[in-house]
Amino acid sequence: MEEVATVGTTSWRERLEQAALAPVTKTSRAYYVWVAFLLIVIGWGVYAYSRQLQDGLVVTGMRDRISWGLYITTFVFFIGISHAGTLISAILRVSQARWRTPITRMAEFITLVSLICGALFVIIDLGRPDRLLNVIRYGRWQSPIIWDVLAITTYITASTAYLFLPMIPDLALFRDKLAGRVSGWRMWLYNVLSVRWQGTHSQWRSMGAAITTAMILIIPIAVSVHTVVSWIFAMTLREPWNSTIFGAFFVAGAIFSGVAMLIIVMAILRKVYHLEEYITEKHFVYLGYLLATFSLIMVYGNVSEYLTTGYKMSEGTEFHFRQLFLGEFAGFYWFYLLGGLVLPGLLILLPWTRNIWGVVAASVLVVVAMWVERYFIVVSGFRVPLMPYEPSTYAPTWVELSVMAAGFALFALLITLFVKIFPIIAVWEVAEDDPTTEPEPAVRLVPHGTAPEPAGGAGR
Amino acid sequence: MKSIVFTASAAVLALGIAALSLVGTARAAHIRVDLDVPEQAAIGQPMELQAHFHSESEAAIADMEVTFHEQVTFGGVTSDLELGRAVTDEDGFAALTYEPRTAGTHDIHVRYTYADGEEEDAAASLTVPATGQQLYRSTAGVKIPGLNVWLLMALVATVWAILLSVAFRVIAIAHADASPPMGRAGSIGSK
Repeated sequence: MEEVATVGTTSWRERLEQAALAPVTKTSRAYYVWVAFLLIVIGWGVYAYSRQLQDGLVVTGMRDRISWGLYITTFVFFIGISHAGTLISAILRVSQARWRTPITRMAEFITLVSLICGALFVIIDLGRPDRLLNVIRYGRWQSPIIWDVLAITTYITASTAYLFLPMIPDLALFRDKLAGRVSGWRMWLYNVLSVRWQGTHSQWRSMGAAITTAMILIIPIAVSVHTVVSWIFAMTLREPWNSTIFGAFFVAGAIFSGVAMLIIVMAILRKVYHLEEYITEKHFVYLGYLLATFSLIMVYGNVSEYLTTGYKMSEGTEFHFRQLFLGEFAGFYWFYLLGGLVLPGLLILLPWTRNIWGVVAASVLVVVAMWVERYFIVVSGFRVPLMPYEPSTYAPTWVELSVMAAGFALFALLITLFVKIFPIIAVWEVAEDDPTTEPEPAVRLVPHGTAPEPAGGAGR
Repeated sequence: MKSIVFTASAAVLALGIAALSLVGTARAAHIRVDLDVPEQAAIGQPMELQAHFHSESEAAIADMEVTFHEQVTFGGVTSDLELGRAVTDEDGFAALTYEPRTAGTHDIHVRYTYADGEEEDAAASLTVPATGQQLYRSTAGVKIPGLNVWLLMALVATVWAILLSVAFRVIAIAHADASPPMGRAGSIGSK
């Protein structure tokens, strides 16, 4: 009986390891086509950006009255997406939700990649990237811009650490399993990044302590990041941004869009790399519940925000409400409210659409709607006149659209390349949920049968 | 008090003479304006701008509406800012209370339209010395002891110190002693 169980366990684990190794060892023609497509889009975006560098921001639709457009919209959107990793990985790890293990790595990938892409858009929006140094040379501690720079750089560092730490045992697995099967530079990379991991007791203990520290630290950092991003708006004298709940509203929206993006990436990678055994409908439905919860929170935020400001109805608010509900931004707003908050909630809560396709469809709607929400927050805020002049208009130019498309292509490309180089699944964490073994106490960090005592504090 | 005497535009006069010689009619558009601005001026202190309108024969021009303007430059654009309107009294005086808001030289104009329908103006310069005084005093903000940049720096330093401790943990992993592995390296799953 024990012999049978051992054989079954080995088989399951081998399949798991093969699933993790497969993206690295096998490359289809479609992969090259996909990468080539992304490179073409990025190349076009680089050309558009070169035009902007050459001629200045006059090639964009931004002018003195509406001086933020697609770039800042996309920056806020990507920073929001970056909350996927924090929620799914850190918060669910803290709360000991075991179902998270197959998807944590993807969530952490998304976090890091979206932070990189988001930070790029701030530099792009500057017009002259060399002016970035002015933040260091002339920055003032009293400015939310400086707080933003501090928060985002700290978050990128913490996210990199939080992605890297749980990956060490898996990188060692790659180092051992892929020896002689991949190119020299990859082996060198795995050797370096696996930091001489041998799975000793002291190594497990150190890693457990480091993960615990990082996961506790990264949650307040992530919350601070999007709070500070919202303060860039809320601390500027613009009528539509005079809100005390902007911080909470932005954080909720960030987690909302982050979960949605994770579901989409999860669905794509599951399909492409045949991860159906590990990423099941359960994961989609559970994340769908999170999505539905946050859609309700977002609806509540909208009601609270607009009811309180509308009750007082200052002159600027009246103008803003008119443009938002009835005028230039009405299409955007009602799509966001109905298509991005109400409909996704219904898709998930109604039993006959509560499946993988229903959740993915809801997620696509949410991602699009959250980008739209960022757009009308940014642009409509600037459109409300500060003095008795005609309200200005904004229309993105081909340069902005091209650069934005390149940003999304870069996001997809980095995810694609990450998956091609690094373990897509947290093998050692998923291995703890081996269905063919006896249940273990939930506090164990190290694998069954390998440790004399728990490594301590890795949060399970 | 500084006084600048303005004689109506020579160009208008020349045009009038030309028209007279052509059509044989006469137009009396020649009036004199004395625009007085105070010599002592300070930011935020109200003062009176006064213009005296009279004819060549020193007859006062009463009941004429005039406007006071200032040439201002903002955002690289120079334009006229209307300061206010006044009507000349029976002695030909029009006055306006004015409060300069910035230091420097202010170009004050007074514009009027007399019988010939042409708008004319007179100008004077007003110098407001820079004193370091601000017209607007910001009262925003509440000083709370301890809530300052050092608190922010302490917070940021603490976070980065914790991150550094994580980095030290990674170094510890790399330098761990060669005690017997708990499982096959990396695979952690040699159950």
